[in-house]
Amino acid sequence: MAGKFNTILASISITLTLAGCASSGPVSETEKLDYKSRAITRSDGAVLVSASVLSADESHDVYGVALAKKGIQPVWIEVENGDDIAYWLMSPGLDPNFFPASEVAEAFASTHEDETIEVLDQHFAALAFRNPIPPGTRVSGFILTNLDQGLKMVQVDLVASGKHKSFSIFSTIPGFRSDYRARRIFIRELYTEDEIIEYTDESAFRAALEALPCCVTNKDGTRNGDPLNLVVIGGLDDAFPALVRRGWRPTEQTWSGSVLKMINSAMAGERYPYAPISPLYLYDRPQDFALQKARDNIHQRNHLRLWLSPIRYHGKDVWVGQISRDIGSRFTIHSPYLTTHKIDPDVDEARTALQEDMVYSQSLVKLGLVKGVGAAAKDAPRRNLTTDPYYTDGFRGVLMFDVHPTAITDVQFLPWEGREGGFIEHSTQQQ
Amino acid sequence: MMTEIDSILDPIQRLPCRKWLAQVMLILSMLGLTLTGCAGWQPPPAGFDDSVLRVRAVTAEVRGVKLNAAVLSSGDSQRMFGANINAAGVQPVWIEVENTTGQMLWLLRSGTDPDLFSPLEVAWSFHTSFANETNAQLDDHFHSLSFQNPIAPGTKQSGVIFTNPHQQSRLLNIDILGQGQLFPFTLFLTVPDDQTDNHAIALDNVYQLIEAATDDYQNTDTFRARLEQLPCCASSADGNAAGDPLNVILVGNFADIVTALVRRGFRNSELEFDNAQRLYGRPPDLVGRKSAMGGMPANWVRVWVAPFRNQGETVFVAQAGRRLGWRLKEVENEDLMLNPNVDEVRNLLIQDMLYSNGLSKIAFVSGVGPTSPGELRGSLGGASYHTDGQRAVLFLVTRPLSLSDVQILDWHPALKLREADAVKELENDGN
Repeated sequence: MAGKFNTILASISITLTLAGCASSGPVSETEKLDYKSRAITRSDGAVLVSASVLSADESHDVYGVALAKKGIQPVWIEVENGDDIAYWLMSPGLDPNFFPASEVAEAFASTHEDETIEVLDQHFAALAFRNPIPPGTRVSGFILTNLDQGLKMVQVDLVASGKHKSFSIFSTIPGFRSDYRARRIFIRELYTEDEIIEYTDESAFRAALEALPCCVTNKDGTRNGDPLNLVVIGGLDDAFPALVRRGWRPTEQTWSGSVLKMINSAMAGERYPYAPISPLYLYDRPQDFALQKARDNIHQRNHLRLWLSPIRYHGKDVWVGQISRDIGSRFTIHSPYLTTHKIDPDVDEARTALQEDMVYSQSLVKLGLVKGVGAAAKDAPRRNLTTDPYYTDGFRGVLMFDVHPTAITDVQFLPWEGREGGFIEHSTQQQ
Repeated sequence: MMTEIDSILDPIQRLPCRKWLAQVMLILSMLGLTLTGCAGWQPPPAGFDDSVLRVRAVTAEVRGVKLNAAVLSSGDSQRMFGANINAAGVQPVWIEVENTTGQMLWLLRSGTDPDLFSPLEVAWSFHTSFANETNAQLDDHFHSLSFQNPIAPGTKQSGVIFTNPHQQSRLLNIDILGQGQLFPFTLFLTVPDDQTDNHAIALDNVYQLIEAATDDYQNTDTFRARLEQLPCCASSADGNAAGDPLNVILVGNFADIVTALVRRGFRNSELEFDNAQRLYGRPPDLVGRKSAMGGMPANWVRVWVAPFRNQGETVFVAQAGRRLGWRLKEVENEDLMLNPNVDEVRNLLIQDMLYSNGLSKIAFVSGVGPTSPGELRGSLGGASYHTDGQRAVLFLVTRPLSLSDVQILDWHPALKLREADAVKELENDGN
């Protein structure tokens, strides 16, 4: 069965490749305008960065081949450099597994005749973003990334000698698959000014984090699910770039329109028709944002869900989250599809792994642990909404980010819980 | 749920080589069975004798932190875990850390492998249906043998971490974090079941060559001049034909250079194809490969120890290249050929190293010699390439650095020329 399936897949991809090469042609001005007109611009000093992610159709039009079929998604980037030094745009910052233009040209060269490869290579090279961005100029082009559906976090790192500028842009991608159950999200502001609680005192802030609910719930709030074991302090300029640099990507259709509106006010009013499919609840709403970091193996991946809280710390957004590691799939009667992900019952492991990984992100400034989840022993585990057992030391992992790049040794430990500056005796806590 | 099933299938679609196996595994895992699981897990006899590992272990010490590490053979994992973990696509590495410093230490597992497996994730793959008690016992056993943080002052901590497999020999990077201090280790471990003597010999050879390098340049100008005078390219074994360009120079402590490469996903992997390239009358001393999705080889860095130093530091002359073709396409060794766009690979290696936390300076020198526009220069095995003729010089250090700490040295007008060209191109485009 698998063989037949593969043969079908292979023949489809051959057909598409051939069709792709044949349909290569000029791009009309209207199409060009389309993705450029929805580009989102951010600035830092005299440097302006605009980005837009192309839909499958748009990328086909621009490149003349079906990039999306090979899991490739072009991101259009324009940098206007009003500074007095040249900058370089870093492709691995956008996607650690990005595709160089020449590689993609080869992927689409249907034969190994040099000419075909050469033509594609030149075409793709001409479209690629070319470094450097000299002072006083505007440079634009495409970076080829791994395909995301619906929404993409575009992380632009610009480097000059002894200098770094970081821009984070959330871009919607039109024309995604329609076979998901659609539900329209009512777009609204998340919190009014009155609802926001600003903390500057560390101990009061710590107490507020401890007082957060232990766990996510089901929709009507009658049952507790996975533990809220994560606190992320920061946002668009620091926390999300860090996650992208380390390979975290939004999951398909699992964010809420409300946050989308908040983070990209330029897009206010745009209808966002897709709802989370596996929602967990906090603040009477499903997660605002869900991310995953997949391995190249069969089905293991880490998932994290974030909700924007009404708490601010020194003006920074505070997100409350849940992280777990999927270690396989299993049969369940608690899902209409009869399968669900099996989570690692040692939930603290995923939390710690994230903290360790973020140390390498260049944007983490502080990390630590705070109470609030409540301990659950291994021999008396709690269960999530799909009845998966989990045990925990009862702490939430706290991650504080900043836009200024931080080297590994400059990351500080919050002396909140655990011995000697935030360290927890992991093994003893679980017994 | 649809997305969950989809997300399970997604990586399979991207792994043509493992598709069949993956589908079978998926079906089996949905049925709650695994191939190994059918046999049922038996706890191994108590008291695993780790002296076998100690004999093979490689030892190192950094400022009062002692490290011992060894890769487990299939036999070792069977004896230690009661299951052949290696056969499940996991490479267990035994680590022992002795902390003689006065501070609490933490091993950052992400520095060793950003896609590490959790102990219970590995255990889950050996679970059997309707055997809750055995499964719980299995989980406990795997957890108890895994490496546990933190490492308290004056203590010794040992355990296994579950990494993605490396073949033949393993460049093991271990980053241990203290308060404001990093203790980085780079060890070369043999992979017991996949061992050829060649690798141990190659490594001894590298150390000897490093020792033998006599000329030590103290002056930047003379060092630059020496780099410019290096041959453009490697050659064939008989010295009659030119090989691939020598387009990268790595300067630093051997361990720092290796650490930076490993942190960015390079693995030690030498193929017969690499050995055709000769410099100083010998094939590359070491080859690092960055594997793409599904373990496909993508980029390589072939290095030769130079017979000279720079201010006491080791100098490597290197080739950065990529094989021709799409990364997901499976190729035989004989199908490997150099991608003509060598400058792209060189530039992307620089970008990758910028995220390694170990790059301090970047410079360019001439010496490769540019090819004329539209012309290709021939290399071995019928390959050809085009280049701007520059070689990148990358200085790597132990002290962790952030993106904004990297200095771009004004050695060669290459960057200024590139800037001027970029301005010219932009003007021509009418921007």
